[in-house]
Amino acid sequence: MTIADKRGYLGLGGESSLSWAERFARFPWSLLAMLVVLASVGFVVLYSATGGGDNLPLLWRQMIRFSAGLCIMLAIGIIGGEKLYRRYAYMFYGISLLLLVAVFFAGTMGMGARRWLSIGGFLLQPSELMKVALVLALARYSHDRAASMRFDSGGVAIPLLMIAVPSIFIMKQPDLGTAIMVISVGVTVMVVSGLSWTLILGSLFIFGASIPVAWNYLYDYQRQRVLTLFFPEQDPLGAGYHIIQSKIAIGSGGVFGKGFMVGSQSRLEFLPERHTDFIFSVLAEEWGFLGGIALLILYGIIIVRTLIIATRASDRFGLLVGVGMTAFFAFQVLVNIGMVIGLLPVVGIPLPFISYGGSSMLTLMMAMGFLCHVSLYSKQHGRSV
Amino acid sequence: MLDDVHAKFQVDARRRLWIVGGGLFGAFSILGGRLFYLQVMKGGDYRNLAEDNRISLQPISASRGRILDRNGQVMVDNRPDFRLAVIPELTGNFSDLLDRLQPILKLSQKQVDSIYDRVQRQRSFLPLQIKSHLTWQEVSKIESQIHTFPGVTIQVQAIRDYPQGVSAAHLLGYIGEVNDRDERRFPAIHYRSGDFVGKSGMERQFEVQLRGREGVREMEVNATGRQIRQLRQTPPRAGEDLKLTIDLGLQQVAEKALAGKVGSVVIIDPNNGRVLVMANQPSYDPNKFIRGFTAKEWHEIVSDPDRPLGNKAVQGQYPPGSTFKMVVALAAMAEGKLDAKERYYCPGHIIREKHKFYCWKRKGHGQVGLVQALAQSCDVFFYKLAEQVGIDAIERQARRLGLGDTTKIGLNGEKPGLVPSRSWKRAMQGLVWYPGETLITAIGQGYLLATPLQLANMMAAIANGGTVYRPSLVDLGADELPEVLQWGHINTAQMALLKKGLLEVVHGYAGTAKRYKPDSVKAAGKTGTSQVVRHKREDSGKIIKSDNDRHKDHALYVSYAPADPNSEPKLAISIVIEHGGHGSSAAAPIAKELIDYYFSRQNGGEDSSDNS
Repeated sequence: MTIADKRGYLGLGGESSLSWAERFARFPWSLLAMLVVLASVGFVVLYSATGGGDNLPLLWRQMIRFSAGLCIMLAIGIIGGEKLYRRYAYMFYGISLLLLVAVFFAGTMGMGARRWLSIGGFLLQPSELMKVALVLALARYSHDRAASMRFDSGGVAIPLLMIAVPSIFIMKQPDLGTAIMVISVGVTVMVVSGLSWTLILGSLFIFGASIPVAWNYLYDYQRQRVLTLFFPEQDPLGAGYHIIQSKIAIGSGGVFGKGFMVGSQSRLEFLPERHTDFIFSVLAEEWGFLGGIALLILYGIIIVRTLIIATRASDRFGLLVGVGMTAFFAFQVLVNIGMVIGLLPVVGIPLPFISYGGSSMLTLMMAMGFLCHVSLYSKQHGRSV
Repeated sequence: MLDDVHAKFQVDARRRLWIVGGGLFGAFSILGGRLFYLQVMKGGDYRNLAEDNRISLQPISASRGRILDRNGQVMVDNRPDFRLAVIPELTGNFSDLLDRLQPILKLSQKQVDSIYDRVQRQRSFLPLQIKSHLTWQEVSKIESQIHTFPGVTIQVQAIRDYPQGVSAAHLLGYIGEVNDRDERRFPAIHYRSGDFVGKSGMERQFEVQLRGREGVREMEVNATGRQIRQLRQTPPRAGEDLKLTIDLGLQQVAEKALAGKVGSVVIIDPNNGRVLVMANQPSYDPNKFIRGFTAKEWHEIVSDPDRPLGNKAVQGQYPPGSTFKMVVALAAMAEGKLDAKERYYCPGHIIREKHKFYCWKRKGHGQVGLVQALAQSCDVFFYKLAEQVGIDAIERQARRLGLGDTTKIGLNGEKPGLVPSRSWKRAMQGLVWYPGETLITAIGQGYLLATPLQLANMMAAIANGGTVYRPSLVDLGADELPEVLQWGHINTAQMALLKKGLLEVVHGYAGTAKRYKPDSVKAAGKTGTSQVVRHKREDSGKIIKSDNDRHKDHALYVSYAPADPNSEPKLAISIVIEHGGHGSSAAAPIAKELIDYYFSRQNGGEDSSDNS
């Protein structure tokens, strides 16, 4: 084996490899810039949500995490050769699944759930890794079976298993929110990769019919969350408290908001979880409808940008990775905001790049790194967006 | 071939990708729409909810108005009450602090248990009441070493004070914690539980003026209720002081004279109906209502047959006895059936319908006219006069003088008394009026009932020549004209004749009150003795005295002074002593004492009411 062959095998160059200069030139810097803007908005809101300077170390930590995340994003986007990630997709998925199983048996408890693995003093959340790994594995599967194009009955079973097995482990932690994210992202990749419309509509029907059955298998606290979503007033001091106070915070912001650092709901601690899951309420209270819409538009622009990367992918794997990572990002935004404005149950999904928190930030950055990688090797690179 | 498949896939996948994109756009639009609904359409509602969350309203109590007598002497006041409170979160070790406070405060085990119970249920940044009504010694001990008691604060709160103690207690009333009935009584005032409200007397009658209006402090609080800062403040408006017509010095002389007895004294200024004295015995200390009674004290006070809580001056209803004879005389004169020359013969009793009606003087008074009949209180004279006049005219005259109906002086529980009539008896008992009942009524017995206030007001009307004023307790200033219930309705000559008789009662050689002539001025009066139970008599008519004190007659005396025809009367007095025996011996001496006190003070004598 020649050196070049070895490099090619490792995906560090080899066939259709790009020079480092080309890689830098092709890197979607505009996406990175938008993420920096988004994260900066997050820092501002976080500063207010944590009491404005009362808890600066917390803000520093978030900034450091974001910087580390940017490095990971650049590394994944630039270093890997064209085929590296496709080659190791299954292995990545396998390792993630093993870690999930390990959590099931030896995970660290916290807040009533077993979600973390303690490795050398670091807390790792394998369910976060699984989101990314699943997208890569499904894209690889679809790519390999390109000839058949559509999933037939036998072809559907394997990707379904790839989604179902980790989902069950995550649900057992229990972490309903993440499980739903994993399933939604997986199904989206399958749909785009050519799942027959009959199957899609059929399973939608079955899904609808199975809701009553699933209801019986939910934990009490999960049922309670669903119930209080629809009837939060029933339990204003208990389970409904979060959503009622969140709606008050958002609604009272009005059109222009109360102003930076003067949102009474968050500053006077009526709003729970205000620097993590409910940070959007802080933004909407202080910056009003205009601020909330501006953030939605910023998210929208980023999503459009990543979808464009997906459409320009050079191969099937790239396209599906682009779709999957976009879905991962977009669904988190939808579920989090839908939750704090009282449209969806409170499931504990952080707001991408705004909520305080480590695991979520790092996996999102990994996802963005894979998107950059797809962009790097896209076909129509001349036309930038 | 493979490239072809790939190309077809790319086309299909892109189409599906844009469907996903469209779905995301739809979802984001729903989020935006929801934001529009919450923030733009419902923004006002949610803003109110957020303000409700944020702002806690704290009342600032208004200081309650004082009550003064006519000379400005303070009868009801507010005084600071010192309370010790602890903010548990500042104490470090709460139980250690409590142990160190214990030698100073000397709390009972029950109080200590209650404190430990409350400290667990209350948020640790809120002040916890440890002890109220601190003495000066306790306050100074704690203040001098306050730095060694972290978290301890001495709070000052105004509480109601009745500096005169038992004096005029019934008239002034007292305050207590608000209940449902009080809230219905004063619908315009917004009470909160624990508020104090006038429960009786002037405190209740003038609740609205005395109370003032409380202020409010708007505090910003956080989710746990901790106060962050003050936003706004509306200062309270203090209650108005209330100036009474009462003459505290005279009031206290009356109370002293009544001490040990059960009864009332009412004194009214005949020129305007202003009440100078309204004294009752036994009395109570209204300060007890502020500090709280012990169970034993409360039991004693409510089970006392002499009803110390009752304002007998307006709530006590007594047969007026011989004091009613003036009403009969006025009725007869108005009917043209009595003049200075009219004489009746009194043999000691008369017999009507086979029934003997006795005069109090068994031997009889002989031939008497009105003046002697009043002076000696001859019963037979008035029996015979009443037969001539009839019950209807007597009833009319009694009502004109304010008997038989409440005076509406503004005291809760005022009783109307009773003036019987034919129609009243038919309605109440379904029976016709018997002529014998007219005779009984003529000497103030039978169904007749009057309150001491009514008797004083009747005497005031006679003193001023026939004008009945509504008695008043509040001094509204010299410009305020008194309310007239009945204009002078009595012929001057007839009134002069009546007054001559009343003067004879005190100053005549045979007057029933001749032994109690005031030293300072001349006084007119009328004694009365009203039966509580029908006396048993021997066949000879001699009364068999009962041993039971509660069967003893009530003693009454009404009077006015000065009574010589050239001077204007200044005082009209009624005195009722329950079970006091004879009006002349039990009640008249009190009138003498009051008149002498009042007029000697006027003439530059010792003046106890001018030291305010």
